[in-house]
Amino acid sequence: MTVKKRTEDLTFFQKIYVAEIGRGLMLTLKNMFRPKVTMQYPEVKFIPPASYRGRPVLVQENNGVERCVACGLCSRVCPALAIEVQASETELEKERYPEKFEINMLRCIFCGFCEEVCPEEAIVMSKDYELVFTNREDAIYDKDKLLTSVDKLKDRLEFLRKFK
Amino acid sequence: MSLFEIIIISLIKIVIAVVALLLTVAYLVYFERKISAWAQNRIGPNRVGFHGLLQPFADVFKLLLKEDIVPDAANKPLHTLAPFIALFVAFATYAVIPIGPAIHIFGYDINLVVADVNIGVLYVLALTSLGVYGITFAGWSSGSKYSLLGGVRSSAQMISYEVSMGFSIAGVLLLSESLRPIDIVNSQYGWMWNAIVQPIGFITFVVSAFAETNRLPFDLPEAEPELVGGYHTEYSSFKFAGFFLAEYANMIIASCMIVTLYLGGWQIPYIDKLGLGVTITTLLQIGAFISKVVFMLFFFMWVRWSIPRFRYDQLMNLGWKVMFPLSLVNIVWVAVLIMLFN
Amino acid sequence: MPKFIVDGKEIEFQQGQTIIEAAKAAGIKIPHFCWHPSLSISGNCRVCLVEVEKMPKLVIACSTYATEGMVVNTKSEKTLEARNAVMEFILINHPLDCPICDEAGECKLQEYAYAHGKGESRFEEIKNRKEKRVQLGPHIKFDGERCISCSRCIRFSDEIAKANQLTFIKRGDRVTITTFPGESFDNPYTLNTVDICPVGALTNNDFRFKSRVWEMSSNNSVCIGCARGCNTEIWVRNNEILRLTPRRNDGVNKYWMCDHGRLNTFKFVNSEDRIDGAFVRKDGQLVKNEWEAAINYAAKELKKFKANEIAFIGSPYSTCEDNFVMLKFAKSIGVTNINFLEHIIPGNQDDILIREDKTPNSLGAELVGIKSVSNGSNTDATLRSIKEGKIKALYVMEDDVASFSDEWEQALGKLDLLIVNAANQSKTTLLADILLGASTFAEKNGTFVNFQGIVQRIKPAVATEEMDRALDGMNMSRWDKFGTKYDRWMQGHKYNSKPSWKIFTLLSIELNGKLKYEMAEEIFNDIANSVESFKGLDFDLIGEQGIQIKNVNAGKRMEVKNF
Repeated sequence: MTVKKRTEDLTFFQKIYVAEIGRGLMLTLKNMFRPKVTMQYPEVKFIPPASYRGRPVLVQENNGVERCVACGLCSRVCPALAIEVQASETELEKERYPEKFEINMLRCIFCGFCEEVCPEEAIVMSKDYELVFTNREDAIYDKDKLLTSVDKLKDRLEFLRKFK
Repeated sequence: MSLFEIIIISLIKIVIAVVALLLTVAYLVYFERKISAWAQNRIGPNRVGFHGLLQPFADVFKLLLKEDIVPDAANKPLHTLAPFIALFVAFATYAVIPIGPAIHIFGYDINLVVADVNIGVLYVLALTSLGVYGITFAGWSSGSKYSLLGGVRSSAQMISYEVSMGFSIAGVLLLSESLRPIDIVNSQYGWMWNAIVQPIGFITFVVSAFAETNRLPFDLPEAEPELVGGYHTEYSSFKFAGFFLAEYANMIIASCMIVTLYLGGWQIPYIDKLGLGVTITTLLQIGAFISKVVFMLFFFMWVRWSIPRFRYDQLMNLGWKVMFPLSLVNIVWVAVLIMLFN
Repeated sequence: MPKFIVDGKEIEFQQGQTIIEAAKAAGIKIPHFCWHPSLSISGNCRVCLVEVEKMPKLVIACSTYATEGMVVNTKSEKTLEARNAVMEFILINHPLDCPICDEAGECKLQEYAYAHGKGESRFEEIKNRKEKRVQLGPHIKFDGERCISCSRCIRFSDEIAKANQLTFIKRGDRVTITTFPGESFDNPYTLNTVDICPVGALTNNDFRFKSRVWEMSSNNSVCIGCARGCNTEIWVRNNEILRLTPRRNDGVNKYWMCDHGRLNTFKFVNSEDRIDGAFVRKDGQLVKNEWEAAINYAAKELKKFKANEIAFIGSPYSTCEDNFVMLKFAKSIGVTNINFLEHIIPGNQDDILIREDKTPNSLGAELVGIKSVSNGSNTDATLRSIKEGKIKALYVMEDDVASFSDEWEQALGKLDLLIVNAANQSKTTLLADILLGASTFAEKNGTFVNFQGIVQRIKPAVATEEMDRALDGMNMSRWDKFGTKYDRWMQGHKYNSKPSWKIFTLLSIELNGKLKYEMAEEIFNDIANSVESFKGLDFDLIGEQGIQIKNVNAGKRMEVKNF
């Protein structure tokens, strides 16, 4: 084992140690009277910044069509195999759309790879962190739950454009 | 007083002492959590009852409702016995702590102590040393390496610090010339508190008290990062609650001992000069004792949330190379004082 | 043999081989789009440019003949530069469609772009717009923008399918592919163009957008559409077959398979009307039973009849193993009336792949010892005997006998006992007294013998309740490997079916204990020991490419002729 030598010798007061303990105690004492940072969660809710990776959602344009073309890249890149996509054909110019798009929130690890790989900016991480379910089936989010209007995701989309 | 009366009075004292102790322990846990929260700029438990005041009861119910698990590898009789030893020792020690001067009530002269033993201090020292059996048994009988290490550490730590503790007390005894707690308190009349007269002894005793109660920064027997839960890793439910209780009860005893031995016990300096009535004086003195103890308890917690845990070698270094010589210095210091002023 | 040097390595070649062929044979890969080993040389994609010493310019490897002493360099700086340039040129008008393109994952252009592309485009102008989603023929959609004009599809339909339906029109960057006026790209082999298309310009209507290729697993098998027995791969996701693709076998089907085989020979495996379990008729209704109970009941019922009152009908759809075990079982209870019915559509045959015998294993069934009855003819002895009441119990294995004719259907209705092994509901299963769910070709191990006398293996690709994807050695996709029962993409239904040979083994255990087979390989070894034509063969010898049976005396059915 290598012994690391201190770069500076301790001063006399530090060596006595008792004085340093006293300083430490005063520090905690001071903190006891400082304002508290706790948020009273169910009553007060944390609003995350744009960089926050909450549950992934699908971007829905204002005309009601989802951006997703069901290419399956998110599904492929997902390290936890949380995403299942079934494509189908549509008359729209994008040709493909997801007939089924399911994210298993029990598998999701919120890594954001899906968002990163998406060629259409169609799946993004939202600010939603309140994920509660009481059985495995409820934990699988389908298109109904995933589609989110583009207006609500402005923050994140701007963030992506800036930093991705 | 007849024997019968003595028994009844003692029983009443015991019941009051035990109930007080249990309630105090329950709320100590609450305050421990509150103080830790405050020190970390948090709020702490505030959901159960007004400002979370019912939290201790929720905790107790939760603990009691848990499944009692005894590992297959455990030595079952000892595994069961261990928490009871710990509890017994904690409660028994409490018997000799005086919380006030003798009072006269309902025609009886009553000492505000369960058992006014003339070797009280020795008794406390003896019993607290017994406490280590509870922990060592728990560690050994669990059949788990973590528990065992916790138990072994605990016994080594106890032995090391008991030495300096004993020598620190020797200084006090030199002054009081008695082993009876009440005498010790009386000997600290006025500002002649031992903490002021022999500060080095006070410091060594307080540090040793921290070590004896396994409180941070000396909680190596249950050091979570390395030993899971230490000696109580394999305990759950009621038996775990037993250890929990014992730890906090020990803390109260340690505080009481510190107050009794060094902080003048129930004494308020020169209160008899103020010419107050006997009853008021007594009540004030009991109040003084309780507030001194509460401050010590706060100090225990305060230290816990301020100072990190020692490494094991540091603990041993401190015990043998610092605390022990210091307590010896203290004895010499007291002896010199006695020679000079007596 | 003459030699030449490729990348510093001396390579032997045959006179008349091109550089790309000789290099390929020696394991050196030269990128190519338009060149295909069994099509004529077109030389229009230019991606196979290589440097040949003493030639002033780079040459295309696909149409330059190798000559003695030639020194070819496929990795020189000049070659790579040219290749990169060609790739950049091709990619100019190729849309960034990969996310919605079915070819992604098995796309030559993707692979070469990854290996030789610049990674970015210097092309700032707007890409060409061409027609997308053109329905070229009944099975094929064409995307003009993706096409890189390699002309493989045109050459295929001209040279292999012998149907001159496709052509280029326009010039330059406006060139596109279309059918001749008034024609549709409609011949029995159109879907092969989807396979050979190096990009995703041609897509299969049936498979379009069904799945990404990397989500599926593939297992080798053999097509059951006709007696050709084209080698195939079965592509499965979530225990459902999504497509079949041909697998190269120069002795049988080369690179190709017909549209009928590709589209119509797998859907029944996952169709709604699968027989899922064992059924016994109770009060006129087929009621689902435990296998044990149904087998027990079947054995008890069979015992009620004399041996000469029972007949067995085998199946040219079943494997050699199934037919062989059925034969052994029938003989072990003394039955001699054992046949199978042919399924021949006279004249429905060409000299490419398609055969008029529409079953994969009639030769195999015959070789293991079952007599054939021509096309279920009404004059057949078995049919007559049933009608006359001589035969009271009939066991039909994996064949829809009742659909041959009304006479057959009426005859089956007359029987006292009809036991049927079947995979799907049919007219026959409606009449069955005991109906046992049989595994399809995609769910079992076994062998087929095609009309040329080539024995070929089929392997399971779909899991059943008794065939586990992992334990029984099927190839697995990533989903298969990591899925749990809680994942919806792993909940594809597993049918409660058994291969016919297992059903007969179970029956035999119930009746006389003479058959004790546990796996198809044992049965084949038994066949190899007892049937002259299969002497000395085993599963390993058959391998992935099949093996030609020698000393056969199979008469008219056998035709040793490659196309």
